[in-house]
Amino acid sequence: MGKGGWPFAVAGLGLALLVWGSIWGLAFAPREQYMGDVQRIMYVHVPTAWNALLALTFGFGCAVAFLLRGGWRWDARHEAAIEVGVVLGALLCFQGAIWAKPTWGVWWDWDPRLTTTAVMVFAFSGILALRRFVEDPARRAVWSAVATVIAFVDVPIVYFSVNWWNSLHQLQSTPATVSSAFHWPLRINAFGVLFLMSGWIWLRARLAAERLEGELAPPLGGIELAQRQPLGGTS
Amino acid sequence: MSGILTGGWEFVWAAYGVTAAVLAGYTLSLVVRLRSERLRREREASRASEVSS
Amino acid sequence: MSQFLAALRKDLLLQWRTRSQLVAVFVFGASALLLFSFAIGPNAAALREFAGGFLWLALLLASTLALADSFESEMSQHALEGLLLLPADPRALYYGKAVANLLQLTLLGAALVPVMVVLYDAGTARVPALLGIIVLGAAGLSAPGTLYAAMTAQVRARNTLLPLLLFPLVVPALLGAVKATSLVILGDPMGQLGAWTGLLVAFDVIYWSLCGLVFERVVED
Repeated sequence: MGKGGWPFAVAGLGLALLVWGSIWGLAFAPREQYMGDVQRIMYVHVPTAWNALLALTFGFGCAVAFLLRGGWRWDARHEAAIEVGVVLGALLCFQGAIWAKPTWGVWWDWDPRLTTTAVMVFAFSGILALRRFVEDPARRAVWSAVATVIAFVDVPIVYFSVNWWNSLHQLQSTPATVSSAFHWPLRINAFGVLFLMSGWIWLRARLAAERLEGELAPPLGGIELAQRQPLGGTS
Repeated sequence: MSGILTGGWEFVWAAYGVTAAVLAGYTLSLVVRLRSERLRREREASRASEVSS
Repeated sequence: MSQFLAALRKDLLLQWRTRSQLVAVFVFGASALLLFSFAIGPNAAALREFAGGFLWLALLLASTLALADSFESEMSQHALEGLLLLPADPRALYYGKAVANLLQLTLLGAALVPVMVVLYDAGTARVPALLGIIVLGAAGLSAPGTLYAAMTAQVRARNTLLPLLLFPLVVPALLGAVKATSLVILGDPMGQLGAWTGLLVAFDVIYWSLCGLVFERVVED
């Protein structure tokens, strides 16, 4: 496998794990006591949730790294992480709505977990839009990094909302709150989405880096990304 | 919430289906975008070498 | 500190000189309040119940105009670059502008209250409490709003970008302000006002410190 193939391998591994975990969860895991078979949605919903928050947290890390140390590669990774985080976050809301309809009777409810999650997805979508509208690469990088730092305040609130407030949504899924019969398919799928997400961020960062090279290069011939330093960071 | 829900498999399939669609769709979009970016760079590189030669 | 006061003085002076714009923004907010009432119709009880929500929605929409305006003069004739060339701490510039915007939004909010009282029959005897909530809510809008106004003033699609970036962010402050205002208008039998005000205060503390910290990266060149 050539140099460029590793992200595809990682994503492929993730996909395989997802297929395995999903089949286990759909066909072999026991039926839940109160929610019946509808509860099997958990095997995709919870891993999506964990990895959406993880992607956005990684994006926050990249934004901070860029602001403190500079380097276009951090900007590329930042863009990738935010986009993947938004995709997973939006998917999360759809999965949640499909689970909510039979269990809560409504597609959506304005409780703390759902509200803060919707806010989070909208906020980071806005940052993706910001990146589209700013043409100067240096400004785009700094501004979107600043915006991510500010928007990230919501992410821990999303996670802890079910502990801090009286929420319709269940508590976090941990070995303490989830019966052991459900653990394995959940874990397998969690790693599945993790690897898929990592492959995605890797590939998307590659795309961002290549686009940046095109933007930063003079019309004839190119300059390697590593040789160009953007503003930002201490010197 | 008391009582036991029976059935509801259509919701399960809907959820897994949406998930599969998004996972496949985004992966596809990545591949397509990467490929078109490669093509764009090749085109530019060949144009550059034309000019310089 | 003196830099902050100088910046604040500059911004208050600017606001005073462009006060006709503020009147226009107030009219916009009052019109919004009127239009919102059409969503409910002639249902007096419902109008009273949702008055708090509509007040803050109107203020939120008006704030995008006011906040964008606050950077208008900095953009013309490259005044912003001039300001930054001075050996002044950009944080002083930020807090001067943010406090000036806070005062302006508080004024707007207070001015919209009589409009709300008349249109929605939503009066209250607890005027100091209401004023306090308006100050805290305006602070929640002003801190991130000033930061993002500074950012978007420098790009072409500013009228779309500012609300797009600001609105999701201020949802917690909006929520707190709406709930607190509604409790003041409709009565607070279970004593929840403290909790919602607490949310507002926490939001304000976090964002006033965070936005001041990052402001200089937004205006550097």
